[in-house]
This record gives sequence, C-alpha cells and structure tokens, in this order.
Amino acid sequence: MEKLKIGGLKQSLELSQFDMRGPDSSEKIVLGISKLLASKEINIEFLTYNSNRNSYHQLTFCINQDKFSNTSKILTQECPLPMGWEVNCREHVGIISIFPHHSGIEILAIVMLSWAEQSIPIRGISTSLSAISFVTDYHVIDKAVKVVQDLFQLPDNHAPIKPEILYYQSTVVKGD
Amino acid sequence: METIAVYRESRIKTYGFQRATDLALIEFSYPLSQIKYLGEILSQDDIQTLRPRFIIAQETDHEISFVFCLPVKEGRDFHASLKKTPSPTPHTYIYPVGLIFFHGPHFGDRYGIADATFCTLSKADIKIMASGCSSSSIFLVLVQDDIEKAEEVLAKTFEVAK
Repeated sequence: MEKLKIGGLKQSLELSQFDMRGPDSSEKIVLGISKLLASKEINIEFLTYNSNRNSYHQLTFCINQDKFSNTSKILTQECPLPMGWEVNCREHVGIISIFPHHSGIEILAIVMLSWAEQSIPIRGISTSLSAISFVTDYHVIDKAVKVVQDLFQLPDNHAPIKPEILYYQSTVVKGD
Repeated sequence: METIAVYRESRIKTYGFQRATDLALIEFSYPLSQIKYLGEILSQDDIQTLRPRFIIAQETDHEISFVFCLPVKEGRDFHASLKKTPSPTPHTYIYPVGLIFFHGPHFGDRYGIADATFCTLSKADIKIMASGCSSSSIFLVLVQDDIEKAEEVLAKTFEVAK
C-alpha cells in the first residue's frame, strides 16, 4: 500500500511537561503562569488549554528540560493554586511534529493506532498552521520517530529530523 | 550550533491574524487504555473526510481529552459519527465558536509570547474557551462574538510585519 505523503517531520529537544487541573478560575491560572514564566525568561515550547470541560479545566505546557527544576521551584513558591487545583509533571518528554498535506485527521488516526500498538504514549496533541504535534515520553522518542518514518513518505532531501541549531532568546547583546 | 537572538521590538511582530467563524467545537474524553479504539473510530471513512481547523488533546488521569474545531457542517457530521459508534462517545457540542490564530518569527523559541496574548485578552475581558500554542503558532478558540474585538486588541499588542 502506498504510504501517505507528508511535508516533513521534526523532533524537539528534551522537554518537561506540567499539567495543571482544577475546577474553576482557570483564566487566572493561565494568566498567572504565563506571566510568571515570562518574567523568569522561560519559554513555553508547547501549550494547550481547555476551559470548556464540564468538571474541570486544564492547562498543559512544556518547557525546555534544563528549566525543569527552576520551573518546579517557582511554581511551588510563587504560584499558589486555588483549592481543588493539582499539578502533575513529567520531567522527560519530547515533541514530534508532522507537517501534513491537508490530511491532519488521517495522520492523527494513523499515529494513534500505530503508537498504541507499539505502546508509545501520547501525552498531548496540538495542531498549528502547518503541523500536528504529538508529545510523548522522551525515552521512546527515537522509536516514535522510527514508527512515523515507516508510516509516511517523507520528501526527498528532507532536513534533519533532530534540531541542529539551538535557538535562545536573550536580553543581552554580546559586546554590550 | 547555538544561536542567541535579542529582540529589539517596541511591539512583538507577527505575520498577521487569521480568523475562522461559524465553527463547531466538539469536546470528548476517551480512556487511555482504549486509545487504539479511538484511532479506529477516527479512521472511519466519514471522519477521514473532515478537515478540522484546530485540534488539541490533553492527557488526564486515565483519559485523553480532545477538542476539535470544525466548520459547522463537518461539526454536525462528526457529532453524528460519534453518536453512531458501537458504544456512543459522550461529547460536548458547541456552536458557534470562532477561531483566531497567528504566528510570528521564532514564536516557539521565545518567552513572553503566551503572556502577551493572554494578558491582552484578559484586559479586554475576552474569555478563552481553548488554546493551543505550538510550532510558532498561537490558536485561540473564543465565543464567536468576541473574535472581532480580540483581533482589535491583539493588533495593538502585536505588530503585523509589513
């Protein structure tokens, strides 16, 4: 059977994931967390938020793994959560982004089926303008990439899947 | 190789805002132990033709919870398909909702983008129903009537690159 063509595949660096769930006041939590992380110059690499669920609201975000300890500390010390809210974290996750050709739901179904067969967990999903991104455990990310490579047809001369350039934002210009 | 970037912007630059209205939001949760079965449901021919404008999924204790935003007709079809599954998938259907989304240079690698977005909407009393930020893009699901106001206030915080 012919493989479904995709536009590309990208793997993230090692990240850490925080899940915050609670019954209400979620807008305040989202606002507080994003402000706190920005003030500490911590980039949110991935974020999903749903305030629409009946019983509870959820904010999930991923940051670079080297910021895990610092983020855990500041969340504990500087972000008291309202009653009923809980935080769960995964220290080692990664993101695989697949760039589809207008067949997002097909890719979603194929990845869900194949990863389930291979016991590769899905910790989160978000679509963007050009990609569908899957969060999984970092220790299985190479296996997850291999499964995706076997399932889809990548373009010839595909760029490296693992990041080769590490990009940081700073407030200081060298030589200032 | 490491690249360190310093941004000197009075306002954060974006490539522009896009919006979609008359969308249906469908939200449902599924046991993680049966995720393969959900994959089979999403593989059905009638669902494969759908073109969601936005999808997020979040893991909860023993479940994975999905939000789909679809054009209204596709939303109705998806709603019907979920009801037809052998064990009907309980779900929430909301219509109409609006979507506003934008992306910018290295948004995925920079701090403060989510803060600028959420702070702007909060100051304008605009409630976010769902959001996803990945791959340099910000997607916001809002009450449909808030979309115009949201673009207006976001356009004051972010500068559309010319």
